[in-house]
Amino acid sequence: MNEQPQMMPPEPYRQRSREEAFGPPDGTRWWPLSPRYRWYRRLVAALVAAAVGPVGAFVVARSAGDVGVLLWVLAVVIGLVLAWVAAEQEYQAWGFLERADDLVVTSGVFGRRVVIVPYGRMQFVDVTSGPLEQLLGLATVRLHTAAATTDARVPGLPTAVADQLRDRLARRGDQGSGL
Amino acid sequence: MTPYFTMAPRAAWPAVGARRLHWATAPLRALTIFVVYFVLFGMWVLVVPSGDGTVTIPVVRIVLFVALSVPVALVAGGVGLWHWWALRYWIEGDDLVVDTGIVRSRIRRIPLSRTQGVDVVQPLVGRVLGLAEVRVELAGGASAEIVLRYLGEREARALRAELLALAAGLPAHTPEAPERPFGRVTLGMLVASLLLRIPVLLAVAAFFAFVVFGIVFGELGVLAVAVPLLLGLLQGVVAPLVRFTEFAIAVAPDGIRLRYGLFETRVQTIPPGRIQAARVTEPLIWRVFGWARVEVTVAGYGGDRQALSSTLLPVGPRWAAFALVAEFFPSPAEVPLTTGRREHAAAGASREVFVTRRGWACRTWDVVAFARAQSVRLTATPWQRLRGLATVHVDVPPGPVQVAAVDRDVVEARELADETVVRAALARAGAATPERWAR
Repeated sequence: MNEQPQMMPPEPYRQRSREEAFGPPDGTRWWPLSPRYRWYRRLVAALVAAAVGPVGAFVVARSAGDVGVLLWVLAVVIGLVLAWVAAEQEYQAWGFLERADDLVVTSGVFGRRVVIVPYGRMQFVDVTSGPLEQLLGLATVRLHTAAATTDARVPGLPTAVADQLRDRLARRGDQGSGL
Repeated sequence: MTPYFTMAPRAAWPAVGARRLHWATAPLRALTIFVVYFVLFGMWVLVVPSGDGTVTIPVVRIVLFVALSVPVALVAGGVGLWHWWALRYWIEGDDLVVDTGIVRSRIRRIPLSRTQGVDVVQPLVGRVLGLAEVRVELAGGASAEIVLRYLGEREARALRAELLALAAGLPAHTPEAPERPFGRVTLGMLVASLLLRIPVLLAVAAFFAFVVFGIVFGELGVLAVAVPLLLGLLQGVVAPLVRFTEFAIAVAPDGIRLRYGLFETRVQTIPPGRIQAARVTEPLIWRVFGWARVEVTVAGYGGDRQALSSTLLPVGPRWAAFALVAEFFPSPAEVPLTTGRREHAAAGASREVFVTRRGWACRTWDVVAFARAQSVRLTATPWQRLRGLATVHVDVPPGPVQVAAVDRDVVEARELADETVVRAALARAGAATPERWAR
């Protein structure tokens, strides 16, 4: 049943540099998300701006006058531009990797993180796709373990890829014991 | 995953082995119903308040009261008897089966292999009458708990032994495992430990300050602050005191057995394999005396029950706390810890366990066995990244324990995370871990 995990470190042992401390496991590369994920982030940013802009401008207009409205609109536009540019960075920061025994997910532009979830600890996997994601043909795969803090999700996958990933994960999870 | 209900025709009854609760359950339930009726309704039929604050009981009202109460009492008695008659439980294979159906069978089947713990609880009434309730805790969800209320004391103990034996995969008639007393918490120590905490001391000081201020200046307004403060103190000191009085720990092959409670006594048995992670806490003042407390995460104790059932030792000497943890996790005290960039955060691993120590004033030690680790996370906040630091989290099910090696050098943190993943995989596979696989 249980195969002997073959996870000995590659020889010769090499210390990572600071820059690659959050990099992929030795000798591997991250799998990227769909490039459309950038457009998903931009669309979200645009919609938030479209909602926050006019409402805020209305509120500001009543208290601070025309200059205030101008500043507010400027702030929203700057925010939107920043989000637009950051979408690229964020897309680059996401990555995942299916290994023999676990799934590794990385993300984060400013704060960084790497999550390693053993297949044997997965309780269930789900695929979700909100209206915007559906528009772009994207889906999010989420892994659940007994720990609430795990939070391992891979967003922005093409729907077909997400379904395949879910099926592969579910199959591998069956071989483990869960808790 | 949760135990399920099935509706089946009556023919599903087992011919033998079905048991009922203690017969006193029926009159007790009837009495409860009657008391509720009396307080909400009967009392107001009986007594007539008059204008000057006294009450009178006219004869007409007594007649009316009796006329109403006799049918209510009969119905209450009937309901009590009916419920007692309807509830049957038996053990079938590896399942505990509880049937609460009256006309049709309403069966709840509890797979004992998923038992997280078996508690025997005796409320004050139960202690007087020699009754006890048996609670079976299951993995998964807040409703995953089965309460059999009430059984005779001896029956309750026998059922507990039976359930634990079955949960461990032994035959049901296995005699109750002999237990070895581990220790008990004296009343003086418990009281002292509850008082000698900084929030409690501050609250006491504030309370007296307000009272003195109120007396000196004749200002009643301070009561608005002092009274809630006093209530908070009662909640924070008296409630745990009542709860944990006579706290005794015993170690048996079928689990760690805790006995405690002043009014409501509780015997809690946690099978050894069900503890996911442990935390030893040493608050600032306690450290002067060398005291510590132990809390554990048991998967399946959700929400309130998690909070109430997570204490393994409310207070005890530091060595006893670690000895207790060593009863279910291999020797966490001997794990060499290395500090990260900051002096008050350390982490270390042995072959079986991952141990972290945190906190400058209130020091906490978190222990998780690699075999129980869920996922491993390496995180860095923007502030940590500026300083070249990162944190390694070993995720465990929700509970009091959070295992994290904080503020390690980022390169070292990555190595620690990778190493933890390998050790966890080896522990899960049950393979012999090589002593020093890296470095």
